[in-house]
Amino acid sequence: MGGDFISYELKEFKLFEPLFRWARKKSIWLVAFCTGCGGIEMPPLVTARYDIERFGMMPNPAPRMADLFLITGYVTPKTLKRIIITYELMPDPKYILAHGSCPINGGVYWDSYNVVKQLDKYIPIDVAIAGCMPRPEAVMDGIREIMRKIENGEADGWRRYRENYEWYRKNQDELFGEGWRERDAKRWLAWL
Amino acid sequence: MFEWKLALEAIGMVIYATFMGFIFMGIERKAMARIQRRVGPPIYQPIIDTLKLLGKKESVSHGFIYDFGPVFALGASIAALLFIPLANFQLFSSNADLIVVAYLLEVPMLGIMLGAMSSGNPYSAVGVQRGLLTMVAMQLPYGLALIAIAQYWGTFKLNSIVALQQLHGWSITVPALLLAFIVFDIVFQAMLGLEPFDIITAPAEISMGPMVEYGGKHAALLFTQHAVQLFAETAFFAVLFLGGASNLLELLIKQIAVLFIAIFIASIYPRFTIDQAAKFFWKWPTILGIIAVILAGW
Repeated sequence: MGGDFISYELKEFKLFEPLFRWARKKSIWLVAFCTGCGGIEMPPLVTARYDIERFGMMPNPAPRMADLFLITGYVTPKTLKRIIITYELMPDPKYILAHGSCPINGGVYWDSYNVVKQLDKYIPIDVAIAGCMPRPEAVMDGIREIMRKIENGEADGWRRYRENYEWYRKNQDELFGEGWRERDAKRWLAWL
Repeated sequence: MFEWKLALEAIGMVIYATFMGFIFMGIERKAMARIQRRVGPPIYQPIIDTLKLLGKKESVSHGFIYDFGPVFALGASIAALLFIPLANFQLFSSNADLIVVAYLLEVPMLGIMLGAMSSGNPYSAVGVQRGLLTMVAMQLPYGLALIAIAQYWGTFKLNSIVALQQLHGWSITVPALLLAFIVFDIVFQAMLGLEPFDIITAPAEISMGPMVEYGGKHAALLFTQHAVQLFAETAFFAVLFLGGASNLLELLIKQIAVLFIAIFIASIYPRFTIDQAAKFFWKWPTILGIIAVILAGW
């Protein structure tokens, strides 16, 4: 499988950067991947009452086209594997909005044996919304915050992940054991 | 000798068509949102989306064919556009425009399929299979509607069809061609990939269908292709059934009318499964199409 996959980084055009930042702010596509209990808070956001499509946001089922990853609620190690793989599928620049107390410090699952307590150790979080569960108003506030950060160029989680990849990789390997990517890939695609 | 006037006209037409196509996509999203009682995105939202996709810092490629697919699709859309008589511009012309345009409007789908298959994603494979089956199913009523048109007006040249319509009244005022209009409108939903037949990119089922692996600049190219395709298809519809147009504004009004019919149908009906769609296409539109052809021959 090694050779048939090319990923290339593109040169940054300083001249058009403000235009692109404005476009990134006005057109955030979400990964439709709801972890934990916060998924149920999403329907009010996309339907008539809070309609996030007026900001150009849209749930997008394909991770290759997406910009924003919403972690909605607690993350178990099993979900975290999928989250990391989906996050690495998304092209730069990409942002993560952690939703609720659980990704920050475990929340009500603070002493659970099977919940990831601090998500920021495994993937970089740009904006975190506290609360259990945050109401749609709080989520809208978080969305405004990430839009502001994107416009100012402060939402640099993707750059942190690229620069500190060894550190994140070390933390992930401590949790799942060495070579977990290959093992999981073999389980899904038996012919590898 | 290089024809500067023709080249400039072609470039201007492509820019106009791309821009208006993006606005059409915006109208589509806005109208859907208003029907669902939402505020909806601004009307120029697809332009922002395309800018954002162009501004992505990373692009993933799976080889030459993967890159070639969207380019091939965009090229076919632009070629189809240049054969259609848009108001008083018709840049290329041949004795059988109708057939050329009808086939060139089908080619972009094949380009996308070509690129999608080379990515090796299972969702792409399912989407491509569905897309090809939908194409096979819709070819029959589509062909029958076009045969009825050609049979009634007695020509394959699009600009003579427009001239004859301006002389004898629009196609839809003729009973036989009204049936052909209904058939073509049903097929049109599948051509635009809208709701009763959006089995190809069924968003909640198979991720994005063939487009699942495209991101960044490739997706921006596909968005541009969709805009040109939308403009060309609505213009083709207006030329065949709504009497063409003598200026771009008149054409625009007719195109938006055609677009709104498609949007309203799409926002009412749920999605067919692939077997239902094939059965449907080979039953009612085909029967109506055969009646239209027989009536047009009389």
